Amino acid sequence: MDAPTLRRAASAVTVGIGGLLWLAAILFMAQTAQNSDQFSRLHPWILMVNIAGLAVLVGLLGAKLAQLIRDWRGHVIGSRLKARMVWIFGVLATLPILLVYFFAVQFLNRGIDSWFNVEIRSSLDDALVLSRSALEVRMREHLADTAAAADELGASAATMPGLLETYRRQLGAVELTVATDAGAIIAVSKGLSADIVPEDVPGEVLLQVRQGQPFVSLEPQPEGGYLIRTAVPIAAGLPGQERMVLQGLYPVAERLGALADTVQAAYKQFGEKDYLRRPLKASFILTLTVVLLLSLLAAWYGAIFTAQRLVQPIQDLVQGTRAVAQGDLDTRLPLTSHDEMGFLVHSFNDMTRRLRRAREESRSAQQAAETERANLAVILARLSTGVISLERDWRIRTANRAAGMILGDDVEARVGAAFDSVGTEPQGIARQFAGACRQRLEAGVIEWREQFTLQAGTVRRIVMCACTPLPGEGEEPGGYVLVFDDITALLRTQREAAWGEVARRLAHEIKNPLTPIRLSAERIRHRLLPAMHDPKDAQVLERSTETIVQQVEAMKEMVNAFSEYARAPRLEMTAVDLNRMVVEVTDLYRAQGAARNVRLKVDLDPALDVVVVDPGRLRQLLNNLLINSVEALEGQGAGSISVTTRRALRGEAEVVEIAVEDDGPGFQREMIGQVFEPYVTTKAKGTGLGLAIVRRIVEEHGGHIEADNRPGGGARVCVDLPLHHQADGAHGRGPSEQRRERA
Amino acid sequence: MRYSLSATVSKPPCLARRTWQAAVCVIATFGVFGGVARAETPVLREVAVGLDEGVYTLDARLDLALSDSARKAVESGLTLRLDYEIVVDRERRYLPDAQVAALAQRYEVSYHALSQRWLVRNLNTGEQHDYGSLDMALARLGEIRDLPILDAALLSPGLVYFGRVRAVLDLSTAPDAFGWLLFWADDWSGESEWESWTLRP
Repeated sequence: MDAPTLRRAASAVTVGIGGLLWLAAILFMAQTAQNSDQFSRLHPWILMVNIAGLAVLVGLLGAKLAQLIRDWRGHVIGSRLKARMVWIFGVLATLPILLVYFFAVQFLNRGIDSWFNVEIRSSLDDALVLSRSALEVRMREHLADTAAAADELGASAATMPGLLETYRRQLGAVELTVATDAGAIIAVSKGLSADIVPEDVPGEVLLQVRQGQPFVSLEPQPEGGYLIRTAVPIAAGLPGQERMVLQGLYPVAERLGALADTVQAAYKQFGEKDYLRRPLKASFILTLTVVLLLSLLAAWYGAIFTAQRLVQPIQDLVQGTRAVAQGDLDTRLPLTSHDEMGFLVHSFNDMTRRLRRAREESRSAQQAAETERANLAVILARLSTGVISLERDWRIRTANRAAGMILGDDVEARVGAAFDSVGTEPQGIARQFAGACRQRLEAGVIEWREQFTLQAGTVRRIVMCACTPLPGEGEEPGGYVLVFDDITALLRTQREAAWGEVARRLAHEIKNPLTPIRLSAERIRHRLLPAMHDPKDAQVLERSTETIVQQVEAMKEMVNAFSEYARAPRLEMTAVDLNRMVVEVTDLYRAQGAARNVRLKVDLDPALDVVVVDPGRLRQLLNNLLINSVEALEGQGAGSISVTTRRALRGEAEVVEIAVEDDGPGFQREMIGQVFEPYVTTKAKGTGLGLAIVRRIVEEHGGHIEADNRPGGGARVCVDLPLHHQADGAHGRGPSEQRRERA
Repeated sequence: MRYSLSATVSKPPCLARRTWQAAVCVIATFGVFGGVARAETPVLREVAVGLDEGVYTLDARLDLALSDSARKAVESGLTLRLDYEIVVDRERRYLPDAQVAALAQRYEVSYHALSQRWLVRNLNTGEQHDYGSLDMALARLGEIRDLPILDAALLSPGLVYFGRVRAVLDLSTAPDAFGWLLFWADDWSGESEWESWTLRP
């Protein structure tokens, strides 16, 4: 049994015992009025117990009412309902109790007053007067007898003792006494049934007789019955004789005495009751009042108790509902009854239990979804494909890192912003991409796949993008998912592979016939030229064969270039003093440049240490760049070429930057993005593979190359080579090999 | 041989019998019996103890003045009770005093309407006297002469004894059916202070 149940049980037992005690006290008080012999002594105690009970009840009720008022003012849940119920219960209990009390008091007052009405009082007075009259006749008779005897005794004082006995017998007196007026007894005559000791003459009697007044009185006897006492003065027989008094005691007839006792007892009892009428009424009214107050207070206390019992489950329900609203689904209400309220509490507990289970399931599902989302986010983050999800209003919902890398903007940081606002430049890659996507969607095509070629300055990107609508409400899409990839490198690789295949075939299919062609042309000239007599014919033959030989050589060079481009040599990485290599290569072109009025400047970073590269490939790289610049300055007259090396940081990576600049015409603007493509050239001569080979070498070394025009005119090609190969030593493998192995 | 009083008034040995009743009465009848007037307290005077033929006797006089409501109650038929409570204790040094003797002399005064006489009845002896007025009856009650209280043989020479007397006034009804109501009407009952004396046999 839990603590609240024990408290409730103890409270119920206490209230029960207290109620029984008070009920017993009330019954005792009622018994006091009905059976006073047993309870009259206990009456004050019983009254005090009732008053104590009243005080206790008043205290309890006051505490309850104070609590109720505090709850009302504090807007405690259920306090208003409880107050209303207490008020209704209390009034319903009070009204009938007050009515009963009012009529009971009225009935009591009138009932008690009727006991002492005027007729009864008058009858008793009459009875008393009648009895008194009857006795007074006897009293007057005995007084007259006594007076007559006193006259005769006074006349014959000498024979007084004998006469006294005679008169006593004649008059039927119990005792006749002759005494002085001071009370000294002179002679006594008593009957045999009387005490031997003569009765004193009371001072009251002597006083009256001394004043010359006869005395007569009716004297009740302790053992019952009455005596009539008479006293008269005895006339003095001789002058100077002491004055004397004759006292006579006469019995009252037993029958008459009994009747007189009855009347006296009734009169006395009525007098007592009449005198106690007011306390009697007050006592009854007080008893009724105590019962009334006990009933009223008990009714109000019961009203509060009942209201509390009725409201408590509602309070529990409200508090439980609030707790549930605040997310506390562990709330369980105590089941205190098995009625409708108990059913409601049971339903509430069942509801919270189900809600908790549902919340746990939802939480598990949400957790699983979060896990999936996290996994998806990891996957998206690791994807090289850009993924952007959009709201219907073109706000970015999600984006992965690859999207930002492809578009050149931190798209992840722009979640919630409009997709049109991506990128920092109005005509940047990102804006172009957003515009292209929006153009497709505004055309009414919500699911498409398309390749965009985006060009912003020197940056050229080819992006393959697929758009898929997200499910939404009804037929309207809930958003869009853009999945795109930068296929620039892929296309380039494909193109390079294609060109490599072409070069390999050219080398195989074209280079082989070139030597017989050249030999044939030389043989023709060798055989026919001496035999020809016409100088003009000889000149034609010689020029034609020379042309064939030259063109064959040119074609051979071209085929060799193709072969060189298609070849994927194994890099022999070794530590190289880059500055020294740059000086060596540029020295080769100084003489050639000077002949063409081209000035060659070298600006080397003295802090540059050795780099780990394939020296042959790096030398080829420098040659191609210098040749490209020298050829760009052809026909221009004076010009200059500068080669610069320096250490630089690209993000967190340290690189060696090699920049070759010239002040030639520069790259055509529209061709800047394609200058590293094979056979993309604006020059009249050349294979168009020089810069393509340069980029290939850079990529083989894990570097980066950019081509752009200088602000003051001319071209600038910048190569970044990583410095991190030093630790691998001179015999390490090249990045291209590592990439190939990873692939 | 008469003994004079060694002390006139001493503190009552116990709580007054009706004190709590009066308190309850005041609380319970507040607003119902407002304006209650207490009767005058009876006063014992001229208390003296004498030794007469080996018996200690008591003489005293009681001043007893009834209020109008008390007179009305008695005239209406209620019986007036007057008790003289007499106690003799032996002094003990380290222990409470030991009671040697205790007696109560009880009287009743009632009005006999038929004879129009006031009856004074000694409940100890059954002796009864009647008087023509209430004052005469009360005067008779107030006179205590040669009331034997203790046999001198019961006292040990050399010890010190303390005697005390008081008068207790009460009211009762002839049949006891309404006795409990006196709780509400007993506004004139009272008791005198204890009057004490010393006995050194």
